[in-house]
Amino acid sequence: MTLASSPARVYPEPAVAWLSAGRLRFVGVVVAVGAFYSVSWQLARVDLAKLATGLPRMASWAVKAWPPATAELPVLALRAAETVAMAAIGTTAAAVLALPVCVLAARNVTPSLLLYYPARWFLNMLRGIDSFVFALLFVAAVGLGPFAGVLGIALHTWGSTAKLWAEAIENIQPGPLEAAAATGASRLKVVAFALLPDVLPSMVSIGLFWWEFNVRASTVLGVVGAGGIGQELKNSMDLLDFPRLLTILGLILVMVTVIDHTSEWLRRRLE
Amino acid sequence: MPDGAIIRVQGLTKTYRPAVRALVDVSFAVRPGEFVAVLGTSGAGKTSLFRCITGLTGADAGSVMIHGRDICRVGGRELRAARREVALIFQQFNLVRRLTAIQNVIAGRLAQLPTWRVLARRFGREDRQLALRCLDEVGLLDRAYARADRLSGGQQQRVAIARALAQDAKVILADEPVASLDPESSATVLETLRTVAAAGVAVVASLHQVHLATAYADRIVALRSGRLVEDAPTARLDARALGQIYERAGVAGGRP
Repeated sequence: MTLASSPARVYPEPAVAWLSAGRLRFVGVVVAVGAFYSVSWQLARVDLAKLATGLPRMASWAVKAWPPATAELPVLALRAAETVAMAAIGTTAAAVLALPVCVLAARNVTPSLLLYYPARWFLNMLRGIDSFVFALLFVAAVGLGPFAGVLGIALHTWGSTAKLWAEAIENIQPGPLEAAAATGASRLKVVAFALLPDVLPSMVSIGLFWWEFNVRASTVLGVVGAGGIGQELKNSMDLLDFPRLLTILGLILVMVTVIDHTSEWLRRRLE
Repeated sequence: MPDGAIIRVQGLTKTYRPAVRALVDVSFAVRPGEFVAVLGTSGAGKTSLFRCITGLTGADAGSVMIHGRDICRVGGRELRAARREVALIFQQFNLVRRLTAIQNVIAGRLAQLPTWRVLARRFGREDRQLALRCLDEVGLLDRAYARADRLSGGQQQRVAIARALAQDAKVILADEPVASLDPESSATVLETLRTVAAAGVAVVASLHQVHLATAYADRIVALRSGRLVEDAPTARLDARALGQIYERAGVAGGRP
């Protein structure tokens, strides 16, 4: 006899009130979300009419931009290389700085909570300020050029990398760490022997992700005068030199695609 | 209480918040060369007992004397020195998965090795030879250079035993060493622990299968709801005693 064909019996079920707490909460959430978006729409001054008049103007630029200017290609390629170099140096410096801090900022291996909280605050502060903003400050301090960009990238990435590394450390299985600690080894040895082999691949993967991210981010840094291909982009835009602009955009696209694929390939090989 | 005990647990009590009584006034002692099985249902306090004996968890009251040091009263350098005498075997093996079997065995020497060697993961010939000897002892010499995560469960557990040997521990504590192994691997692992005990090490292992306990252990200690309810040579364990350990297990037990 199957359940479906068994004799009918009515099972009691809990009654649901028409005006239950759950329903009221649902309505409340819908209203709140709706209010949030309508206010945001006002604050962001979204104006579709302006877009309608602006789009044809952009289209006319596209027509004027063809064919792209190739005369300056070697110079522009050098500037693109400058961007990749800024990202590489900045990210590496950040990784070196992040290494000691991430151990302090990981709850399961931190020597003391007195170090854990300050480390977290410090990293949150670095992460909270974008590399763009840091670069703006450093352009004023050390002058125009890619070095300001490197410093900006390094500081912001320091915070971001260390935080993600700390989280990777917090996610590992505690078993091997306890086993190593149970042999009577000191904390430094436990971390070096039982923790590092486990987290190193994901740490390298996170580092590569930030390098890739920073290549994309540092194209913008040129806009504040921190060197790289972004600076050329800004110059062309200011002069309304559209063929040159098109070349630069193409160059950025190629550069970012190559870096993305390289980094993705490397990260896949780590697993 | 036997004389010449290497490990002496006295009045050990542990309560988890809010009011879970994991261990209540537990006392027993183990001599070198003895294989003691700890029986009890899940939640009877077996894991808490092991964690307290190694100082991974602090006890509320009582003492654990190992070679004249009270694990519950020392900290820092003294605690690390005491831990060196006790090796732990875990249900989940707890090897570093990305390292080879021999590297995992060398981990038993972590406390004695110079820091730079640990950081560089470069070990001296003597340490490597010792590790190979320990692997030979547990019958895994041919798997010395395999990565830990490529070994079967039984093999991983034997690597863990080899690590305990490399540590030159006087006591091996095994918390459910065969709970996640098939019967054949279980037999091999317990056989290995038996051999180690015969060489003069005190082995304390919690087990779920009574027949394994009676087959391999010299003495059986049983916990129920955190209390010691049995402590007798294996030959004296009868049906009445088993009933006392397992029937209608107490609801006031601790966490597993």
